[in-house]
Amino acid sequence: MLRIKNLKCSYGSIVAVHGVSLSVKKGELISIIGANGAGKSTLLLAICGLLKNWEGEIVFQDKDLKGMSPPAIVRSGISMVPEGRQIFSPLSVMDNLKMGAYTMYRKGLKSQVEEDFDMVMEMFPILRERAHQLAGTLSGGEQQMLAIGRALMARPRLLVLDEPSMGLAPKIVEMIFNVITTLQSQGVTILLVEQNARAALKISHRGYVLETGKMVLQGSADELLVDDDVKRAYLGRDYGDFYDGRDA
Amino acid sequence: MLDISVEEKEQLKLERLQSTLNRACKNVPFHRKRFLEKNILPEDIVSLKDLTKLPFMDRTHLGTHYPYGLFAVPLRDIVRIHTAPGTGTNPSISGYTRTDLLIWKKLVARSFEAAGVTSLDIIQIHLPPGLANWGRDYKDGGEAMGAGVIPNSPLSLNKTLMVLRDYKTTTLVTTPAFALQLMDHMFDRERNPNELNLKRLILVGEPVEGKLVADLEERLHVDVWLNYGLSEIPGPAIAHECRSHCDTHCCGSHCGLHINDDHILPEIIDPATGTPVPMGEKGELILTTLSARAFPLIRFRTGDMARFVPEPCGCSSPLIKLEWLKERADNMIIISGIKVSLDQVKSTLQKALAVPCPDCTVERIRRDGTETLGISLVMDDVLFSDEIKELQQLISQTEKLLAEQVGVPIKICLVQKRVL
Repeated sequence: MLRIKNLKCSYGSIVAVHGVSLSVKKGELISIIGANGAGKSTLLLAICGLLKNWEGEIVFQDKDLKGMSPPAIVRSGISMVPEGRQIFSPLSVMDNLKMGAYTMYRKGLKSQVEEDFDMVMEMFPILRERAHQLAGTLSGGEQQMLAIGRALMARPRLLVLDEPSMGLAPKIVEMIFNVITTLQSQGVTILLVEQNARAALKISHRGYVLETGKMVLQGSADELLVDDDVKRAYLGRDYGDFYDGRDA
Repeated sequence: MLDISVEEKEQLKLERLQSTLNRACKNVPFHRKRFLEKNILPEDIVSLKDLTKLPFMDRTHLGTHYPYGLFAVPLRDIVRIHTAPGTGTNPSISGYTRTDLLIWKKLVARSFEAAGVTSLDIIQIHLPPGLANWGRDYKDGGEAMGAGVIPNSPLSLNKTLMVLRDYKTTTLVTTPAFALQLMDHMFDRERNPNELNLKRLILVGEPVEGKLVADLEERLHVDVWLNYGLSEIPGPAIAHECRSHCDTHCCGSHCGLHINDDHILPEIIDPATGTPVPMGEKGELILTTLSARAFPLIRFRTGDMARFVPEPCGCSSPLIKLEWLKERADNMIIISGIKVSLDQVKSTLQKALAVPCPDCTVERIRRDGTETLGISLVMDDVLFSDEIKELQQLISQTEKLLAEQVGVPIKICLVQKRVL
């Protein structure tokens, strides 16, 4: 579905991503993990057309994304849930969702937009209660739900999420990851960038590890979860490590 | 079977190659130095074809960087270390991380599945001590797919046969030499193959001629499947026959083996010039690991001769097919599946006999089903002694030293010059 070859991204003279290749198949949930500054978000910005200065090849459903504007990329079927939510704070929850449905309105698919409202509200019941509240007044978790809901309003074939768990309470993180799993099971292809590597890999089919702009590892989630390098660098210690008598 | 299109596989290979080069260059000084010497950065490799820009590795590099010089992860991440005899004074060793073992299990299970093995089968592994590492990999792969596994153990031929019969083994993993020995042993003792539950033989270690395969199948009432492996990669099931393998064996191994090219990238080159040969032509097989964490090998010269099989396979697997040929591109001989360097044999002889240039020929001797490296050594003035006992002792010590060095039984015969 998405194929990236030899992607190089720069900010001025600083190269942030050095010749990265990755792919996402239809229906897959793929994680990209890595430390701060590894180039994960830059990679997503390039996919979504928000970063212009890149070389290489990004092909989505046989369409070359080179030179395409962000709205055209959204129309082609990619929606992004940006890092830090980036919701429209002065607008109501409902208006935020309507903004997400902009491409659907343009296509004249108003009846589908109504269906999508219901689908988002069903997925996040709290948003129905807050429908007319200003988005800026929502809690962090609610804002994240709104950001995901807004992205879903465009009926994406590929949903790109940048750090959806950032700054959220563990209970909310669990809920957000459950939603991501549900979306995947409903057929949405998902590319997930996440610092919470263990949680991300546990729900993913495959994963990629970026390090200083270079791809250094990839594999199935089960392979990465047992990889010592990944464990040390990104997974930290699980509860079991404290109780199994080893590595105290 | 691998559920992936050829296009997806090519993308996956590029991704894995680039990650491997990044890791190797970052973590292994040997690889980093060679990249610098060629003035290449890992990111300059933008397609699989670009791999030809990189230099070859061979077995001498493994010996030179003994023991851990080529490992790409810290030792604390290594969970298994394998030793192969090597070609020089040092053995060659390879390491596995936990992830490597997990991937390798899946590859071995894939080769079992291609041979029709299921979780209902009982797999018996009988490999010589020199291939004991492969025995462990086959055990892990068999267990991973849920089959019952009888691990490799040093049993006599009679005991092995007893286990085969009483434990109702359905799949025997062994070398062609042992399969032949087993067949001869059974027929010498007028044992009926139908006493056994054996359905298939998986042969490893060396290419097999069609006639031998046909003989084994006909007389033991089994299907024979060939696997290709390499001690250095490390692992036994780099390539395997699939269900579409030639039933008539009119062409030996000509119908080809599927190489797991999603994890190990093959190239075929002209051994003299090092340049790739046209598709379908024979040459030396070069392998690059794409997913090995602990011990990445980049453009490793195997010394094995092979050719790609361009015709599509009936099993519709996306994996590339190659034909494994009997001839070799290097100066090695295969004894019971173990590769022995003739240069190493000569240098050990030189040291043990204290002669500057021993005049000898070597051959594979198969007697009573077991294979031995036979060395015919010319008795010259330097070697000659009028004390037969001393001479016998020297030869016996040399045999022991050589056997320890190369990992196979040795038989040295002294001959007169004119015999050679």
